[in-house]
Amino acid sequence: MDDDPLDESLRAAARDYHQPPDTPREAMWREIARARRLDRARRPARRWVPWAAAAAAAAAILALGIGIGRVWRPGAGARLAPGSVAVRPEPAGARVNQTAYRLATVEHLGQSEAFLTLFRASVRTGSQEQLASATARQLLATNRLLLDSPAADDRKTRLLLEDLELVLAEIAQLTPEATAGDRELIREGIQRGGVLSRLRTVVPAGTTPTRGDL
Amino acid sequence: MDDRDLIGRVLAGDDRAERELYDAHVDRVFRLVYRMVGDTHRAQDYTQEAFIRGFRRLADFRGESALSTWLCAIAVSVTLNGLRSLKRAREREVGLDDAPPVGTRPVEADPDLKVRLSQAIDGLPEGYRTVFVMHDVEGYTHEEIATTLGVQAGTSKAQLFRARARLRESLADFARD
Repeated sequence: MDDDPLDESLRAAARDYHQPPDTPREAMWREIARARRLDRARRPARRWVPWAAAAAAAAAILALGIGIGRVWRPGAGARLAPGSVAVRPEPAGARVNQTAYRLATVEHLGQSEAFLTLFRASVRTGSQEQLASATARQLLATNRLLLDSPAADDRKTRLLLEDLELVLAEIAQLTPEATAGDRELIREGIQRGGVLSRLRTVVPAGTTPTRGDL
Repeated sequence: MDDRDLIGRVLAGDDRAERELYDAHVDRVFRLVYRMVGDTHRAQDYTQEAFIRGFRRLADFRGESALSTWLCAIAVSVTLNGLRSLKRAREREVGLDDAPPVGTRPVEADPDLKVRLSQAIDGLPEGYRTVFVMHDVEGYTHEEIATTLGVQAGTSKAQLFRARARLRESLADFARD
């Protein structure tokens, strides 16, 4: 079907469609290098986390997740409490329970999904940056622990946690001086990676609050 | 240095190799993304994200296509997702009744061919527009487009054929003038 070309005047005009400017090499590289530094900072820790420490981390993650939930939305703790049953300390020397990691991951992803949903709704108002930033930092810490744990051995989960990390890191850096453009960029970042929709596919419906304030 | 050596060095943790790989491919990726979005800031964001994802997934690159094609595939995916999200966001914010119609812009009194063509290309369905931009604007072959978009070369040819037909139809009155 290449034997049906546009006539020459149209082809010439088409070549001017969205004529690209010079490539902003250095500006883009700065952002890429920053993201890569984050990646590298994470990797060595993952190699050296021993199983026992990872197991302890999983329990800590769940506790932290519940804590975040209580601080961030009073009353949510009552709903979240059943999850804590699944990560009671195991007997010494017991095999690491993969279920604990899975529950901790689901718990964290649920909290993140609710947080991002509320953040996206509030981003239009331009308020509550400090609270959002503090919550994002807490979630970011949990996210990094999970990335360093066996929970991230599953490729799909790891990719989701990596994309989530970038979004949370951006929100964590929000200040009261942030412009509407800054908030909009974050909101676009959430949408662009399909982070929210991917979170919703892994979080059972109704397990986290999605209404209310940050 | 060929791509395989460069990839090996990147995977071994060589920072300079990452920059070399970026320098070798960024122009092609940015050009394509810019052609698709027509906005420097968005093109910059999508290109950055494509390289970040590319570096993270480099270990998964099997060499079944050229590295540049593989990177472009990531970039196209990021860009199309971004454009879809943007479209959804605009529809929500503006409201469907107030949104400007897609692909049915009114004919201007004395339109310049480039402007009219640009509007007509903007109004093409996503698949047609992507193939048209890649083939007729950026000069990709159907085989490259097929690999990049994960479709058959025949599909790429069919999409291009339909895209050109739509453009001719949109510009018919202009041609008569």
